[in-house]
Amino acid sequence: MSLAPEDRLVLARGVRVRFDPVRNCHVLLAPERVLFPCPTSVEILGRLAEPRPFAELVAGLAAEFDAPEEEIRADLEGLLADLVAQHVVLVERRAP
Amino acid sequence: MNAIAREPWREPPIGLLAELTHRCPLACPYCSNPLELTARERELSTEVWLRVLDEAAALGVLQLHLSGGEPTLRTDLEAIVARARALELYSNLITAGVGVSERRLEALAKAGLDHVQLSVQDVDPEGCDRIGGFKGSFARKVAFARAVRALGLPLTLNAVVHRHNLDRLERFVELALELEADRLEVAHVQYYGWALANRAALMPTRAQLDRSVEIVKAARERYGDRLLIDFVVPDYYATHPKPCASGWGRAVILVAPDGRVLPCHAAPTIPGLDFPSVKDRPLAWIWQESPAFQRFRGFEWMQEPCRSCPRREIDSGGCRCQAMQLLGDPEATDPACSLSPHHARIRALAEAEAASAPPPFRYRRLEEPAAAPA
Repeated sequence: MSLAPEDRLVLARGVRVRFDPVRNCHVLLAPERVLFPCPTSVEILGRLAEPRPFAELVAGLAAEFDAPEEEIRADLEGLLADLVAQHVVLVERRAP
Repeated sequence: MNAIAREPWREPPIGLLAELTHRCPLACPYCSNPLELTARERELSTEVWLRVLDEAAALGVLQLHLSGGEPTLRTDLEAIVARARALELYSNLITAGVGVSERRLEALAKAGLDHVQLSVQDVDPEGCDRIGGFKGSFARKVAFARAVRALGLPLTLNAVVHRHNLDRLERFVELALELEADRLEVAHVQYYGWALANRAALMPTRAQLDRSVEIVKAARERYGDRLLIDFVVPDYYATHPKPCASGWGRAVILVAPDGRVLPCHAAPTIPGLDFPSVKDRPLAWIWQESPAFQRFRGFEWMQEPCRSCPRREIDSGGCRCQAMQLLGDPEATDPACSLSPHHARIRALAEAEAASAPPPFRYRRLEEPAAAPA
């Protein structure tokens, strides 16, 4: 999956992420599903409560972790492809 | 049986299936409830349910499935949902959607409901009424689905499929898209409770099953970006058994309307197990230490071919209740498994039933007059 800078990403309806004190980790709760996201996914998901352009997400994370945008973008594309395939994150694309 | 005390089980359950009531306006012949239904007078009080939720959250439960019967018949459902929200439990309402007003639904949403799962028995009014045993159900379900979406709640359509409605599976997919459902659950009947009593009336042919696999595959390819489709296959035609409830006492804890705590719906069909009640024991003790929950954990109880099977970690030998129901031995390999010596006989049974004219439904009804709807 390739993402254009203006593609907007948002958490799918019904998805919640929270910390679970019993398991001592973050959990992702969705209809009939529980996932245990990695810390990077938690960081990303926490920024997608409202639709956000891919470019803005990359820039934000690059600034926060003081890393080159190119590197962040490459990492994110793989992770987001997984989250999209699992219906955890939706992509809103402008009609061509 | 192993008389040596076992270590308490430390892995927490993920989901609590709260069967709030056995009362239901529908009478589906494949209901997973037991044949002997619990009457209203024996249902747990609000106070006990709220305590169960507190105990479940402390134990590590993350999702609360509000089920029944029809859970909306409990007038305290809003209080239960509100407590779930306060405990950060993800609440899922599993409903037939026939007697729920928009105002009620709005109150549940306000209380913090996270998700609605709506059953649809068939895709046309006639079939829907006939299978659910309730007149006018289809129009009510459609209106209910629209109300769910109008409130912005995520919606799953639950389609239990069998020989009477499988030929309309494509239409189920279209209906899910029309109603803007986020998810469609296509679940072949699993034969327990009322479904087992109606097995011959419900069993699909192998050709119907194969066709349903193709339809789901095509629908996923075509609509996968809009609609998540979960698919549960029937195990009488399977090669490997299903990892029932992810294994006995592994992921799910069920509290029945009368307070009995079970690893799954059908567990009471296994004789000799004493399932404690939330009225008498803490949920944590029942989950971690009660002999009934410990009974089929691990691998020590297994017989061959399960005991030395590389798949034992995947499916735990299949379903204990099915081994009991079909073979009279809850420790046997689930005969849904092709490695079971009884597999061919079970499969032939399914084929013979599917090839015969279907007998009439034995509808699921609560017999006690005291529990009749007002």
